[in-house]
Order: sequence, then structure tokens, then C-alpha cells
Amino acid sequence: MTVFHFFNCAILTFGPHAVYYSATPLSEYDTLGTSVKAALVYLGTALVKLVCLATFLKVSETDNFDPYQELLKALIGFIDVAGLYFALTQLTHRNISQNHKFQAVGLGGLVKTLNLKLQSHYLTSFSMLAGWAFADSVLHRLAPLWVGARGLEFTWDYLLQGLEANANLVLSISLAALGSLMWLRKNKPKTLIPIIYACAGIVATMPSITSYLRRGLGWQFPKVVGFELFTSLVMAFISWQLFSACQRPSA
Amino acid sequence: MAHRKARERDMLDSVYSMLALVFILVACVELCDAATVVDVYRLIQYDISGVPFGSRLASLNHHAGSLHFSPGADLSRTVVMIPVRELNISFVTEYVSRKHPLGGMLFLLPEIFRLENGGGGKDVREKEVVKNVLLELEKLLVHAKLPYPVYFAFENDEIDAVLDDVKKNDATGQPATATTGGYKLVIPIAEPKKVASPTITNIQGWLQGLKADGDANQLPTIAIVASYDTFGAAPALSVGSDSNGSGVVALLEVARLFSLLYSNPKTRGRYNILFGLTSGGPYNYNGTHKWLRSFDQRLRESIDYAICLNSVGSWNNELWIHVSKPPENAYIKQIFEGFTNVAEELGFKVGLKHKKINISNPRVAWEHEQFSRLRVTAATLSELSAAPELLESTGGLLDSRHFVDETSFIRSVQLVAESLARHIYGYQGKNIQIFADNSSLAVNPSYIRSWLDLLSQTPRVAPFISKNDPFIMALKKELADHTDEVIMQHEVLDGMFTFYDSTKASLNIYQVASVTFDLLLLLVLGSYLIVLFSFLVITTRGLDDLISLFRRPPSRKVEVSQEKLANDNYECVMV
Repeated sequence: MTVFHFFNCAILTFGPHAVYYSATPLSEYDTLGTSVKAALVYLGTALVKLVCLATFLKVSETDNFDPYQELLKALIGFIDVAGLYFALTQLTHRNISQNHKFQAVGLGGLVKTLNLKLQSHYLTSFSMLAGWAFADSVLHRLAPLWVGARGLEFTWDYLLQGLEANANLVLSISLAALGSLMWLRKNKPKTLIPIIYACAGIVATMPSITSYLRRGLGWQFPKVVGFELFTSLVMAFISWQLFSACQRPSA
Repeated sequence: MAHRKARERDMLDSVYSMLALVFILVACVELCDAATVVDVYRLIQYDISGVPFGSRLASLNHHAGSLHFSPGADLSRTVVMIPVRELNISFVTEYVSRKHPLGGMLFLLPEIFRLENGGGGKDVREKEVVKNVLLELEKLLVHAKLPYPVYFAFENDEIDAVLDDVKKNDATGQPATATTGGYKLVIPIAEPKKVASPTITNIQGWLQGLKADGDANQLPTIAIVASYDTFGAAPALSVGSDSNGSGVVALLEVARLFSLLYSNPKTRGRYNILFGLTSGGPYNYNGTHKWLRSFDQRLRESIDYAICLNSVGSWNNELWIHVSKPPENAYIKQIFEGFTNVAEELGFKVGLKHKKINISNPRVAWEHEQFSRLRVTAATLSELSAAPELLESTGGLLDSRHFVDETSFIRSVQLVAESLARHIYGYQGKNIQIFADNSSLAVNPSYIRSWLDLLSQTPRVAPFISKNDPFIMALKKELADHTDEVIMQHEVLDGMFTFYDSTKASLNIYQVASVTFDLLLLLVLGSYLIVLFSFLVITTRGLDDLISLFRRPPSRKVEVSQEKLANDNYECVMV
């Protein structure tokens, strides 16, 4: 209802992206180019996904959960992962080393446990993530927000969508981190590899899980958003742990 | 390096300008998505000789309130939703007479009054209770001047839910305003404009009688007249099934029966029959007046007598014949005797009422008075025993399909047809039933029913019916089927009445949150973002960096930038 509400929902949905971009060291390394490239790759994968969806799926009249359709959708969702892989390996950021070492030494406290050396793949993955998640958010949420949140009618939907966008951002961080672990780090401890792949699998299939919850089990929207937030936090924690676990040997 | 930066800046500029363009384009699209959209019907707005009556405004944009507001609350920005079932008429009277400022009124009528719900005796008891309230309400609203919009709507589930919510909110003692949330009722409609030159259309049908060879004189004529238009508080709902839909249908049925008789020269009577469907009834029978003035002098003199029909559809055991000539008059006696005899045979009573005409008084209470003013013998057959006041009994909110009782209506039709036929064929006083039941000339109930149904779904307030309205065309075609010659006369309604348009609209009901809620939300989101920002800065750069952001000592900044420059140069060399 009214532009004020639209503004509120917009900052809830897109604020964290801006905060994420400015708060982390990304902004100092001129990673805007990489983010933009990531956004374009996302556009590309979205188009491919749309074409596949249109070709292979049939429109269901009812709102039931059809396992075959959902399976197809999940398979198509893996195209997402393929796009991420492509972006990660092809578009690495080249501005490396010296500055980071300097910065890393200067960091204290919490940072030491993480032992962020800001190697190239870190920067790549996180800047890419910023671009990817932002593009995802904008394409999915800006239009409905603009059209819907500006009307007089008040619903909680748009605020819940903003929360969902936040959860998606956290999930994307985890996905990018796991992706970078899978493909860019060459020396991983053997025991952790299956866990990494399992977590990546779960995060990648998040959309199908949420749609199953919404349609198959008939959960209400707030419940689904709560579940998303919870799982995103859990996955972020797990990937953080995995990250630091892989870090330790090379330290 | 600078090269690349310049290119990037250009790219950014172009991106910004494109974004701005997109935003401008999208801002032009204003979509409206309300929780509920309801059809509403406006109270009539009219002037009599410049004196304004009715609701003077049409557009609405206020919060909804109910009758349970705390006394002394300011309602000038509230629309009061009043279900007619729970209406206390004294509230409305007080508000109207004391001219309290009000944002608007929305009356909720029970579902059974919907135009589509035809007959059926369900909830008759409920109707009784509502009937009296509605009658009083309509009278009050039609004769009052209300400087705010007044609308009628039918109850349905959605609007009932909204009303319950509003009542709950009001019970907590807080009137709905911009800061406390609630429901907003919006009707986006233009200012009501005057209806320029409202037309009234009279339709007449002529059945030629049997002229004997060598008879040079004009045959005598009998006229049957009924006015077909209505007037009520909600012009889009004024269907007037009884006043005067019953008169119209009776006229059509009589026309059909006589056309059967007159189609065969052997049974054609020696009287011409003139059928008249007039408009402008509620406005002192303006249409009838103009119709009669258009008559040829010879035709007017040849009219033996005229029978006007006014509300013959819902009576119990007595009909009335109203006359303006004294009852001792020979013609009146003849007519009355004819009717009484037939009525006795059919099993009910007919009474005679005499009301003198006052030529200087412009008020014309019965249609026959227009005839009498031109020296034509006429009488009105009606179930009303007293003359109605101006704009009364003209088919209002209450007058819907189930108000008409088919059995008594069929008896009225039989009365009219038989009495006329006996007069025409000279069978007065004889016990012969021309239109007997189960004969080929019986009154046809399905014909009556279908026409009554049609009339009960057509609002017929004269200024809002155009010259070529499909309903008028239908009447003309029907009369043309039964008579030899049909003439339509289009006139302009007399200048005493002025009407304003906008009789129907769509109401949007929005659920709105208050401004305080928005501000609170902004506060919460701002703090959330700030917390997120600090969290990320602490985890990736350290607490010192966070504090340095706020202090911004200039020396430190210069140091950092110098270092950056040095490192950049170093990079170039490396690359």
C-alpha cells in the first residue's frame, strides 16, 4: 500500500545485497565488473531454464504436488548449478595477492579463526555471488513488488517475500562457497568431499523442496518462509565449518 | 587503467539512464487490486425547481465505520456501513435532520432484494420486518438533501466479513483514521452531471373497430392507459414490479385478448380501442398530459371513457376505482356498475372514490385527472385507496418481483377485460363470460409471468432511459403485435425536474495498514540493515575498521589511499 510500503519492502529485499557488497572487502577490489558478468551469466541461465521449462513441462490446473513435474523442475534447476560452475571457472578475478596479504595480516580477532587469505577464488566466488544473487532477486522480485506493493491494499506477502530474498541470499552464499570448494580448491581432505557434495545438492534443490512444502503439504506462506530462513542459516553454518575445515590443512 | 575506468563510467551512465527510463514507463502503469469489488447503486440526485434533493456527491474515498462508533466521534471522514436489517431509523433521521458532517453512507440490503432473485416465498417473514424500515428510509432519503455520497449495496459474504471486522475495530473505541489502519472504501467516479433534456416516450396502439357500411360517423373509442416508468431512492434498482409494472402487463394482456377478438371481423366490436403506455408518471403524469395535448380534437371527443391502470398486482380483496367527476354522473355510474357486476362474479369488491380536481394545483395525483382536465371521462383502477403524494408509490426499493401476487393480478386482468368487453359488445348485466378460464380467450398466466419477470429486472426511471432503449423497443414491438397501428411520441420532461447521472458504480474495499505501522517497519528494517552491516564488517575486516568508519580521521585515509596507489602501480608492473 502506497509508495512508502514499496520502499520498505524494497530495502528489505535488496538492502542486504548492497550491505553485503559494501561491508565486505569486495568493494575495495573493484569487483563490480565480475559482479556484472555474473549477473549476465545468471540472465543466460534463466533464459535457458525458461526455454526448457516451457518445452518440457505441462501447465497443471490444480495446485497439487506432482512428483514428476517437480523432478523435471529440479533437473532443470541443475542448469543453475552448471551456470555457476561455468562462471566460477571461466571468469576468475585476476587482481590477487599482495594487497590481500597485507590486509589479512592486519585483521584481528574473529578473522584469525577464519584465516581469510583472500585468494583469488575467494574473491571470485564472493563477487560473483553478489552479482548472481542480486540479479536473481531483481528479476524475480522487483516487478511483483513494484506492481503490487504500491496499491492501497495491504498484505503481508511482500514483507515475506523480502525475508525469502534474504534467505535466498544466504543460501546463495553457501552454494557459491561450496561450489568454490568443489571446483577451485585442489587439495581437499578426502573425508569431507561427500559432505560437500551432499550439502551442495541440498542447497541446489532448495526450490523444489519449498514448492513441495507449499503444494504437497499445503504449508502457508509464512511457515514456508520460516523454514527457508532456518535452513539457510543451517546451511551457511555448515558450509562455514566445511570452509574452515578445508582451510586448516593449507594454512 | 584510466581508459578502462572511463569506459566503465560510460557504461554505468548508460545503465542509469536506461533504468530511469524504465522507471518512468512503469510509473505510468497504475494498477488497482482491491480485496473486494462490489456493485453499488447511488441514491438519486435531483432538483425540483432548483431546490436540491438527494445525495449531491458521487466519488468516495474514506475509511469504513459502522454503527457502533463511540458517541461524539468525528465521522466527517468516515463512511458508515449500515445493514438495513439492523437499522434504527431514528439514527438516520437525526443525522439527516441535524446535518451532521459525514463522509458517506453505505446501506446494505438483504440478498433477497437482488434483481435476479425472482419470486419465491423464502424468508417472507424477514422481508416483513425490513419492509417498514425500508419504506421509511426511502421516504426520508428521497426528500432530504445530503451533501455526501449515499450508496446501496447487496449483502454478500465478503462485505459481511468486512463489516464484522469494522464492527470489531469500532468496538475497541478507535475510529478508523490514517494512523490506525482498517478498511478504506474507494469509488473512483467523476462528478455527477445534469442529464440534459431527459426524454419521455409515449407509446400508443390503436385497434380499429368495425365500421358498418354507410356509417360516416367516427366510431367511439375506449382508452386503456398505464404509465410504465418508475422513481425510487436507487434509480438503478427501481424496477417497480407493482407500481406500475402490473399496470403495464395488464394492459399488454388486455391488448392481446382484444386483438384475438378483433382479428376476426365477425367478432370485432363497434368501438375503437386505444392503448397508451405513457411515461413521466411520477412527475405529475407529465407524459400523459403531453400525449393528450397531441390528440386531434375529434379523436379526443370520440373517447367514450378511459381506464387508467395503477398498481393492480398486490391486493387482497378490494380494488378501487378513483374518479374526479361526481359519482352521480351517468357515465360514471355506468362504468362503475359494469365493473361491480364483473367483480361480484369473480368474488371480490370494487369501491368508488371521488377526488375533486383543483385546477390551480399543479399536483396530479392520478392519471385520470389529466384526462378530466381535458373534459374526457376517465377513471383509475388501483389497489391504493388513497391518492399517493408526490414521488410516493412509484416503484421504490421494496417493489420487487415477489411483491406481486399472481392470483390477484390475474383477477384484476379478468376484471378489466370482462368489463370492457361487456361494454363493447353490449352485454351489460348479462351473465356471459367472454374470457372464461380454460377457453381460448383465457388470461394466459405464462404470458403474464414472463412479462412481469422482465419488468422486474428492468429499472425504468425515465430520465435514464434513452429514446432507443431496448425496453421501449420491446414494448413497441409487443404492442405492434397486438394492435393495428403503433405511434411513438418523444417529448422532453418538463423543466421542473432536473436529474443527475451516475446511478451505478463499483466500490473497491481495501484493507490498509496505518502510517505508524509503516514508520515502525522502516525503523525495524533500518536497524536490521545496520546490524547486518556491522556484523559483516566485523567478521571480515575487524572491529577496528568498523570504528574507523565512524571516526574517519583524515590522516588514516590519506595513508590508505597512498598505499593503494603504490600497490596499484606495483600490480601494473607485475601484470
